Amino acid sequence: MAADTVIAPAPPAPVTSRAGLSPLARHLLLAVLALAAIVLLSMVVDPFTNVRLATVGYYLLAVAGLTVLTGLTGQVSLGHGAFMFVGAYTVALLVVYVPALPFWVDLLLAAVASGLAGALTGAAAARLTGPYLAGATLALAVGLPSVTQRFPDFLGGSNGLGFTVNSMPAGLAGTVPSTRWQAWVVWAVVLAALVLLANLTRGRVGRRLRAVRDDEVSAALAGIHVGRMKVFAFLVSAVCAGLAGGLQAFLLGTAAPGSFTPALSLSLLAAMVLGGVGSLWGALWGALALVFLQAGSEELTHALALGTDVSNNLPLAIYGLVLIGVVLAFPQGIHGIGRTLRTRLRPRRTPARTSADDEGEA
Amino acid sequence: MDKLLTLTLGGLTSGAVYAALGLSLVIIFRATRVVNFAQPALALISAYVAFSVNKATGGYWLGFAAALLTGALLGALTERLIMRRLADRGHLAPVIVTLGLLMVLQAVAGMIWSAEPRSFPYAFDFRGTFSPAAGFAVAVVLVVAAGVLVLFKATPLGLRMRAAAFRPDVAGLLGVRVGLMLTIGWTLAAAVGALAGLLAVPPFIYPTALDSVFVHALAAAVIGGLDNPVGTIAGGFALGVGLSFVSGYVGPELVTMAALAILVAVLVVRPHGLFGHAVARRV
Amino acid sequence: MLEIEDLVTTYGAVRALDELSMWTRDANLTAVLGANGAGKTTLLRTISGLQTPVSGRVRFDGVDITGLPADRIVRMGLAHVPENGGVITELTVEENLRLGGLWRRDKAARAAKLREVYDLFPPLAQRERAQASTLSGGERQMLAIGRALMSDPQMLLLDEPSLGLAPAITVRIMRILRDLRDRDGLTVLLVEQNARSALSVADRGYVLALGRVVAVEEADDLLADDRLRHAYLGF
Repeated sequence: MAADTVIAPAPPAPVTSRAGLSPLARHLLLAVLALAAIVLLSMVVDPFTNVRLATVGYYLLAVAGLTVLTGLTGQVSLGHGAFMFVGAYTVALLVVYVPALPFWVDLLLAAVASGLAGALTGAAAARLTGPYLAGATLALAVGLPSVTQRFPDFLGGSNGLGFTVNSMPAGLAGTVPSTRWQAWVVWAVVLAALVLLANLTRGRVGRRLRAVRDDEVSAALAGIHVGRMKVFAFLVSAVCAGLAGGLQAFLLGTAAPGSFTPALSLSLLAAMVLGGVGSLWGALWGALALVFLQAGSEELTHALALGTDVSNNLPLAIYGLVLIGVVLAFPQGIHGIGRTLRTRLRPRRTPARTSADDEGEA
Repeated sequence: MDKLLTLTLGGLTSGAVYAALGLSLVIIFRATRVVNFAQPALALISAYVAFSVNKATGGYWLGFAAALLTGALLGALTERLIMRRLADRGHLAPVIVTLGLLMVLQAVAGMIWSAEPRSFPYAFDFRGTFSPAAGFAVAVVLVVAAGVLVLFKATPLGLRMRAAAFRPDVAGLLGVRVGLMLTIGWTLAAAVGALAGLLAVPPFIYPTALDSVFVHALAAAVIGGLDNPVGTIAGGFALGVGLSFVSGYVGPELVTMAALAILVAVLVVRPHGLFGHAVARRV
Repeated sequence: MLEIEDLVTTYGAVRALDELSMWTRDANLTAVLGANGAGKTTLLRTISGLQTPVSGRVRFDGVDITGLPADRIVRMGLAHVPENGGVITELTVEENLRLGGLWRRDKAARAAKLREVYDLFPPLAQRERAQASTLSGGERQMLAIGRALMSDPQMLLLDEPSLGLAPAITVRIMRILRDLRDRDGLTVLLVEQNARSALSVADRGYVLALGRVVAVEEADDLLADDRLRHAYLGF
C-alpha cells in the first residue's frame, strides 16, 4: 500500500542553529519571550479575556501532545479528552481531599496519573493499528467519564467536583486580579512543558519515534525497541493532555464529566489536523481556533438571532467541516499551507529534507 | 436465577442492536477497508427523520420506512461525495473524514431537533421480561443478517461486490462497475445502520444517544473480525449478553469500559478478531 | 481489429509508452516481445482502460476506446488477462468463472459458455467448488483465460501467461491459444518475455524497447533474424 500522504505531517522547520545557540537554549529563550508577551498581554485585557488567554494555553498543550503522538508515531488517538479527564480529576481530588498540598504538587501528580493512564493505553495501543486503535481510544473517551457515576460520593457523580485553589502568593493578593494570575500560571506551565516537548521531538528520541513511524521493521532492525517507543509516545502525549486537564480544573475550579465528552476528544483532533499534524506551531493555531470558534459562533448566532440550539452546535459542525475539508483539500493543515507558500516564495536553501520528514505512514 | 434469565434476554436484545450496527460497519470495511466512524450519525439522522415523520403522521411504520430510506440515501451520498475522493490515500484519512462527518451530522441533529431527549416509540409493546418489542428486534436483525449473507454468498450482485472488494482492478477488467458496487455497499450498510438506530434509540432520542451503542457495535465487529459478517453477528449477541451481566451485577456506568477491556483483551490475543482473516490487502 | 496510434503513457516523469503505434489482423495471434521494462504490461493496461494515456488513440473494431473505463471496454468484446492471471483467490473456481460473464444478460448463453470453458480446461471442471487459492500455477492461468473467455470476447489480451510455469504447461497454454485462434477465430495479443514459446504460435510479432516499437515482422521472419533475436529476445 502506498505511504500515507494524506495527513503528512508538516515538515519541521529546518534546524539551523542561529547565532550558535543550542536548540534547548533557543527553545528556552523563545519560551521566556512568549511568557513575557503573555504577561504584558494579560495586563491590558479584561478578566474575561484573561480566562480565554489561559484557555488557549491549556488547549495548546493538549493539542501539542496529540500532534506529537500522531506526527511522530503515526498513531491516532480519539481519546485525549479522557486523559484531560484524568488530569482534571486528579487535581480536583487532591485539592478537595488533600488541601495541604501546594498546587504545583497537585499538578505534578496529575501529570503522573495521566502518564500512567497513557502508558496503559499505549501498552494496548502498541499492539493495535489504524481503525482498531481509533476504536479503542474512542471507547475510552466514551466510557471513562461515566465512571464518575459509579462513585457519586467520591467523584461527585454527574455534577462533578467543585473547589477553589488558593495558589496566589500572599504578596500578590489584592494587587493582581485572580484571572490574570491564573493566566500566568497556566502559560508558565504550558511553556515549560512545550520546551521539554520540543527538545524531545528534535532529539534522539524524536528520531527514533519517526523511524518507528516510517518503517517499524527497519526500526526494529536498527535496534529500536518499537513497542517501547510507542508506549513512551503515548505516555508523553497523555502527560500533556493530563496537565492540560489539570490546568483546566485549576482555571475553572471544577471537574465534571460533562466537560470531557467524546466531542472534546474529537475537537482536539480537529484542532490538530487544522494546525498541521506534527507541528507544535500548528498546535497553537489549532488551540486558538478551538477557543475563538466557540466565541465567534456564539457571537454570530446571537447577531443573526438564531437559537441556542444552533449556537451550541455550530462549533462542533465547523470542526467537523474543518476535518473533512482539510483532509480533502490541504493535507498539511494551516501550518502546512503557510510553509508551502513560504518555501515557494523563497529560493530553496535546503534542497534535501531528511527522509523522515517526507511522508507520514500512519 | 430469575435475574440471570432477565439479564440474558435483555442482553440478547441489545446484542441484536450491536450486531446490526456492527454488520453495517463490516459491509463497508469488507469493501473498502474503511471503518465508518460516521455510522452512528447516519443512523441518528435516520432515526430523527423517523421521529419527525412519526410525529407528523402518528404512524410508526411510515417513520420506520422513512428512516431506512434516509439511511440508504445518506450512505450513498457519503460514498459519492466524500469517500470516493479518498481512494488510495492511506488509512488515517478516512478515519479523520468520517469522524468529521460524525461531528457535522451530530451538530446538525442538535441544531434541528435540539439536545433535549425526545421520546421515541418502540415498534411493539416493550413491557415484560422478553417483550414483543425485544422479540421483534432480535428477529428483524437475524432476518436482515441472513439476507445480507445470502446477498453476498448467493447472488450475482453479491459476487460482483465481493470481487470489487477483493480485487477492484481485476473486477473492472471483468466488467464489474467497481464504483457502483461501492455506492451500493455504502447504501446497504447505512440502511442496516438506520435499522439498528431505530431499534437502539427508544425510549429517548438525543444527539449523542448512539455514541455508546456505536462503541459497543464497533467492539462487537472487531471481536468478530471486521471482515467477517457471521463473526460480527455472533460477537454482537455475545457482547450484548456479556455487557448485560456487567450492567446487572456490577453497574451500568461501567459497561463501556468493560466493552473496551474486552475489546483490548481480544485484540491482544487475536489482532484481527476471533474470526477475522489476517489477509494483507493488495491494491 | 486493434489499431494503436502514437500512444504515450507516463508514470510521473517516466514515459512507459513513447508514441507507440501498432495494429493487429483479425483472427491472428500477435506477439509483443521485449525485455523487462520495455512497456509491454503498460501497453496492455492502457488498451484495456486500467491506465489512462497522456496522448494517442486506441481504436477497437473501428471504435475509439481511448480513456474509456475498463468495465466498458470489456463489454465491447476486448478481454484482458492480467499479469499472473489476476485470479481472485478468495473466491471459488466457479465464482471466478461466472464473474467473467456476469455482465452478459443472456443467462442461457452464460451457462453454455461455462460448459464450453470446462470442456476446454478439464482440470477446472474437476475443481469447480475449490477455493481458487488452492490451484496450481498452471490451473490458475487456465482459470484466468477461461474467465476471460466467459465474456465471449472478440479479442484477448494476455500478459505473460507463461510466467512461472513449467515448460510443459507453457506449451499446453500456447496450444490452447492457437486453437482458440484457428477454431473460434479469436484475435489474440500476447505479451511475452518467453519469445521462443510465443513465436512458436504467433502470426506476427512486435519487439518493444523503452516504450517504442523497434521491430515488427511476421513471426517466421523474426525467428530467422539472428541479429534481432540476439539483441532483444535473448535466445
